[in-house]
Amino acid sequence: MGGLTQVRPGSVPHRPKQALAGSVRRREILVAYALLTPAVLLVLGVLAYPVAWEVWISLTSFASRAESRSFVGVANYRTMLADAFFWRALATTVVYFVVTTLAKLAVGVALALLLARPCRGRALVFLAVFLPWAYPGGVTVVAWYWMLNPPLITSYSVAVGHWKHAVDGVAGAGAYTFASVALFNIWRGASFTAVFLLAGLNAIPRELFDYARLETRSAAQRFRHVTLPLLRPFLALAVFLSFTTAFADLANVWMLTGGRVIFPVVGTYAYWLGIRSGEFAEAAAWSLSLVPLLLLALAVLFRWFDPPREAPA
Amino acid sequence: MSRGRLARWGHGAALALVAVYSVFPIYFITVQSLKTPQEDVFGSPFYVADPTVENYAELFAGPGARVRGFVVLPRVPFVRWLANSAVVLGASLVVTLVAGVLAAYALGRLQPPGWLWWRRALFATYVVPHTILFIPLYQVLIALGLDDSHGALILIYSTMALPFCVWILSAYYRHLPREIEESALVEGATPATAFLRIVLPMSRNVLVAAALFTVGTVGNDFMFASIFLLDPTRQTVAAGLGVMDVSLEELVAVAGVNLAAIPVATACALFARGYVRGLTAAMVEGA
Repeated sequence: MGGLTQVRPGSVPHRPKQALAGSVRRREILVAYALLTPAVLLVLGVLAYPVAWEVWISLTSFASRAESRSFVGVANYRTMLADAFFWRALATTVVYFVVTTLAKLAVGVALALLLARPCRGRALVFLAVFLPWAYPGGVTVVAWYWMLNPPLITSYSVAVGHWKHAVDGVAGAGAYTFASVALFNIWRGASFTAVFLLAGLNAIPRELFDYARLETRSAAQRFRHVTLPLLRPFLALAVFLSFTTAFADLANVWMLTGGRVIFPVVGTYAYWLGIRSGEFAEAAAWSLSLVPLLLLALAVLFRWFDPPREAPA
Repeated sequence: MSRGRLARWGHGAALALVAVYSVFPIYFITVQSLKTPQEDVFGSPFYVADPTVENYAELFAGPGARVRGFVVLPRVPFVRWLANSAVVLGASLVVTLVAGVLAAYALGRLQPPGWLWWRRALFATYVVPHTILFIPLYQVLIALGLDDSHGALILIYSTMALPFCVWILSAYYRHLPREIEESALVEGATPATAFLRIVLPMSRNVLVAAALFTVGTVGNDFMFASIFLLDPTRQTVAAGLGVMDVSLEELVAVAGVNLAAIPVATACALFARGYVRGLTAAMVEGA
């Protein structure tokens, strides 16, 4: 998206290559571009047209009911921004992002710290923690759906029904469905985060912890001043992936079944507008509205990942 | 002493709790799928007293309709779907890993001008919203002649998994000491041989990490599979069971997805250790 326009080949190579003759280097660069081609074609090539289409459509009056398609400039965005419903949806979406991401991080960090300590049965528990992410989402979403929203008359329907009404009574209709989507997302995402952070913890040299034990007074202090800074690149990547997958397609579809009115979410509403109502132009504008936020998160991630000393670009 | 023992018990209890939390939903759905309709209504939700595999057997019962009470339910070509899923998963893995390794080696080791930005550009595609993306994507697939074919899914899954794979693989190659290859070149190996025989085996764990990430991406998809594959004989398990109107309401469907998940989860469990090691290896000097 916006990131694509930033592609500017021409920044200097990062490590000075001593003793490399110019012609050798030139051949190396040619080989590098050749090797890069399949991946770039697969990713940027496949997405270039769809992204351009979406941006273009958001600037037109394209809808299934409209007689003609004409260029309308930023009118769709203006309508969207003037819509109080949009701001409510945006607020819900941001809160949803933040809450699920924080929960995933908290659970993920806790699980990773728990698993980092050697003990009996650790391998088994590690496999259990890995399972929510490794088990295909198509199954586990159904599992959660069955658990929290029993579809038929089953032995536990009544008990769950009581819960549902209690939650909806307090927080508004659809709250229960909304919460179940969030719970599923946290359950699956925290598993990925935990394993990811465990890999990060393994990367920290043991001597550092031994040294920190001498220097700091409490485990909490050690965590804040030693573990956390060293885990930063892992945390950054985990947060970003959590952002982008917060609305994985499955949850999206499930979300359509409930919680849509009281807890509108930008992605879900865009899907609704586009697929159910045929308002493609507006739907495109809605779904693109989150891109600036995500790009901002991406910029932070890149800064944390390729620190300035290595990135003169 | 007693304090240490208490801490150990606490740690053990926490681990047990974590295991239950992680596995419970999968256990729960498996229990439901083993129940008879009677027990589904009158039994306990937490265990199955009288297990039956009828829901699983139903998947392999072959063509023809099944009658339950007054309802006629269509049968599904489940074995075919399993085979299709395996084909799509396998091909996505091959495409992603081959393209990913080549690109990662180019970016991490050869470092052409602007490599950092290429890597970032690939990764930036994760901000593309998927909501209505499939409309233009469908146009692309038709232009490529890939509509209603496995190629469509292989293409999309590779597109989705590649940026992360390139990211971790290139981080690994970037920090691999150059001397390792140079010594092979001195011995008379060509660059390609040096890469295939020495560098690639060394990055085994990172490859495992990339592969499992791809498996996770493919396994999680449901929407693209059900949109792009319309012919029942070409569908994958996710697509097929997903488009059945009653999918989420039917124990047979639950049994089906569960059955398809078992080999995937087993493979992931076998490679889990390599996955963690690979991520560590890729990111250890990542920042």
